[in-house]
Amino acid sequence: MLYALMGLGLALIAGILNIPNFAHGALFAVGAYLMVSAIGAVGNFWVALLIAPLGVAILGLLIEYAGIRRLYAAGHDYQLLFTFGLSLILAEGIILIWGPVGISQLPPLLLRGGVDLGFTFYPKYRLFVMAVAGLLVVGTWLFLEKTRYGAIMRAGIENKEMVSLLGIDIHWLFTVAFALGAYLAGIAGALTAPIRGLSPGMGVDMLGIAFVVVALGGMGNILGAIAAGLLIGVAQAVVAAYWTEASTAVIYLVMAAVLVVRPQGLFGIR
Amino acid sequence: MNKTNLAVLAAVVLLPFVVRPAIASEIWIFAIFGLGLNLLMGYTGLLSFGQSTFFGSAAYVAGWLLKHYGINVFVALGVGVGVGAVSAALVGYLCVQRSGIYFIMLTFALNQLFYFIAYQWTSVTGGEDGMPGITRPEFLGIDFKDPLAYYLFVSALFLFSLWIMKRIVESPLGKILQAIRENEVRAEAVGYNAPRFKLLAFVIGGAFSGLAGVLYAMLFGIVPLEAIGFVTSGNVVFATLIGGSGSLYGPIIGSFVFIWLSESVSTLWARWPLLLGLAFVIVVMFLRGGVVEAWTRFWLWQSSRQKI
Amino acid sequence: MSQLKRRDILKVGAIGAAAAGLGFPGIIRAQQKEIVILGLWDQTGAFADVGPLNDRGMRMALEERDMKVLGRPIKYVTRDGATQAGTSTRRAEEAIDGEGARFMIGPWSSGVALAVSEVAKRKKVVHFFSGGTEDISGARCHRYSFQWAASPYTAAKTVVDNFMKANPKARRWHLLVADYAFGWSVEKYIKEVGKTHGIEFVGADRHPLGEREFSNYVQKAAANRPDVVVMINFGGDAVAGAREIFNFGITPKLPLIMSWSSGVEELVQLAPEIRENLWVGTNFYYTADTPVANAFVKNYSAKFGNPPGYAPSAAYSMTRLMLAGFDKAKSAEVQDVIGALEGLEINDLLGRMRIDPATHQTLRPYFFLRCKPKSAMKHPTDLADIVATGDTPLPKEYAACKDIGSF
Repeated sequence: MLYALMGLGLALIAGILNIPNFAHGALFAVGAYLMVSAIGAVGNFWVALLIAPLGVAILGLLIEYAGIRRLYAAGHDYQLLFTFGLSLILAEGIILIWGPVGISQLPPLLLRGGVDLGFTFYPKYRLFVMAVAGLLVVGTWLFLEKTRYGAIMRAGIENKEMVSLLGIDIHWLFTVAFALGAYLAGIAGALTAPIRGLSPGMGVDMLGIAFVVVALGGMGNILGAIAAGLLIGVAQAVVAAYWTEASTAVIYLVMAAVLVVRPQGLFGIR
Repeated sequence: MNKTNLAVLAAVVLLPFVVRPAIASEIWIFAIFGLGLNLLMGYTGLLSFGQSTFFGSAAYVAGWLLKHYGINVFVALGVGVGVGAVSAALVGYLCVQRSGIYFIMLTFALNQLFYFIAYQWTSVTGGEDGMPGITRPEFLGIDFKDPLAYYLFVSALFLFSLWIMKRIVESPLGKILQAIRENEVRAEAVGYNAPRFKLLAFVIGGAFSGLAGVLYAMLFGIVPLEAIGFVTSGNVVFATLIGGSGSLYGPIIGSFVFIWLSESVSTLWARWPLLLGLAFVIVVMFLRGGVVEAWTRFWLWQSSRQKI
Repeated sequence: MSQLKRRDILKVGAIGAAAAGLGFPGIIRAQQKEIVILGLWDQTGAFADVGPLNDRGMRMALEERDMKVLGRPIKYVTRDGATQAGTSTRRAEEAIDGEGARFMIGPWSSGVALAVSEVAKRKKVVHFFSGGTEDISGARCHRYSFQWAASPYTAAKTVVDNFMKANPKARRWHLLVADYAFGWSVEKYIKEVGKTHGIEFVGADRHPLGEREFSNYVQKAAANRPDVVVMINFGGDAVAGAREIFNFGITPKLPLIMSWSSGVEELVQLAPEIRENLWVGTNFYYTADTPVANAFVKNYSAKFGNPPGYAPSAAYSMTRLMLAGFDKAKSAEVQDVIGALEGLEINDLLGRMRIDPATHQTLRPYFFLRCKPKSAMKHPTDLADIVATGDTPLPKEYAACKDIGSF
């Protein structure tokens, strides 16, 4: 479910802004670290969960405004270089601020312990994360499908010129889209903090997976990204039950296989 | 011989006096790697984000043969170039039908695939530990174990590679590739089979990467897992962009800058990747042409001042 | 300005600047009198948190001697190996060639150490290392590398024998192993020793170094219905694994063994609930009662707040052993120091310690701990009791180091 969330955010950015956001993993990491600091500062998990992702969204806003905005015409090479450079800066920044040692964060008291599901004992917190991520994914999808702003965004993915011809400020659209994508990455990170623990490099693996989800789902296809995210998560769990070491490799194998046969991903339009 | 080439030659001759031969060798090896990539990136407009697939595969195969079968250096080189070319043909065949972001992602995904295969196949590659024990067998009485001797070998191969690449880009093939970069549709309309030429560029680029890979394995005596990882793929892309992908010599400058940063600055500050990230951002915002452009602009500014 | 001339200046200028920059470290050369010792400690990568700890321990040992030995000043240089074989070997070579280092301690990762050990052999420098791979004093042994950590056999014997003493009925074991040199070595011997106790290994899953997502591994472990789960991993991996095993409810119902732990550093990252029914094997625990340990623990705790775990202690002890080598040899020549280290018997951090000249393995005790429940903790770092120590050396029939070789 987290994969779907990350994929969704990246798909949004890729679709609307048409840039490969290599900093998406770093935004995920920043979300996790801000969450820990917020819990430390405010003392309440729930409040922190509210504010930490907003911090990442604001960061995203700034990044888009100050940097990415200038690069739309620059070509993928440079967008890649820029966002990658950004990811380095963010990762090293995390080390500078929070130190290179991993940090542990426990789930809130309400969600500790597990639930006996009959066939397996499953941690409550993980169920909570699945539920929240699911809500966010559905909520984002509803926003995009049912609201006017969402419609504008979807139109932006399809045809930017038309949207600006219709008098809508395309730059504002891009900024919001990026901030939204960053928000999703940030909240994914914040939710993950008690599960994986934090380390400065936590964004790197997530980035790879996010890219797989987006490529698999079809660039810019929101529903596709969601479906692909779920698919990947399930595939990984299934493979892990039989051949644990290969569970990460399988993700890339599936991606490569699908892209060779269907370059637009499972649900994309050419 | 024109002035630029003279400068390169001078650099090759003088470098081992300024830095250790091992670092000097590494710079030229990375430059060969960059030249291969730039044929794809700068000249054909294909951002291949998986060059380490060919680099690493060649290193592993040649390394394995060196270690267990004691082949001589030239056979090792041949193997490296061959493996690089073949793996590039495979990957290229799958990738050239796509374009834009899809192309980048697919090269990345296939790179990861090769990475995980190398990671899992521990009996051959050593997995996480890498493949140590790579020899530098002597040839005709030349002991390549001596760092300086090896440097001469590497730099000679670099000059040779540079010459070949120069010939390629100045040949009709080079022009066709650039035409494809500028406007693929038009190139096709004129009668060139774009995918086939892209594949050819891939194979050549792969051959160069493979050569770099073997030399790398022999330089360090080990093939680390990173050699086939996406970080190495990323490094060569970034180094070339920083040097300036619009020029034949860009990858060379990029190699210098990158190796300098990663070797020197890292001993001074553990957080040096921050500077690297900043360098990337600055290049993108202000200096798209990389160091080449920066220097050109500076020179233009200088000369315009003098006119007054 | 003609095209050619501009590019020409460009080329020369860029190269000149870069070369000057590259030459920079080389210009700083060690002075003749100095003894240069390299600490190859990771500041980035999977063991980024361990490197600074190692550095602390090594520095403390050197500062105890006022950075001098044999009347000569010691120059302590460090390099970040980035927990990667390629980077580590490169930087080690650079320090050896550029700084004149002839003595090297580190790195931390066993896999990387195998590669670095080759550098030591090729460059003929003294190399001291602490880690879980048996190969450095085994199949890949050579005259220049020394192993400080207990042999994985010793560790396995200590852990398995003593655990079985306390839990004789726990016959079904599930292993979770880090997938590289260290994991493989320890796994091999736990299985060997386990056989003698009639233990059935119901499962053994390998995970990549640096793994943080353990839910799949944990669920698989649970499905095997073991009596005990054993982790053969280290640092962040161990912490993440232990936490996940707890989250899924496997502990504290079942015991969890961390077979090769860093001790304090890992345990403080786990909440007391997670430490219930946690058994720990480690190369050093701070309640070890020897004069050297007592002094070291006191100084370290005063300086850094926490008592030291395996990482800084190993660096500390290795440095002390190397200095003892200098003292015994009365020389700083590589071959003399190696000769002095072979067969060195000394009362150091762990009590009686001896370096086996045939394999360069340090023979010393390994610790087995049982963690305390929260109620029994007298202070925040009163994490565990030492249940037993074991120092059974690797039997000759297993020794893969047939000939340590010559210089």
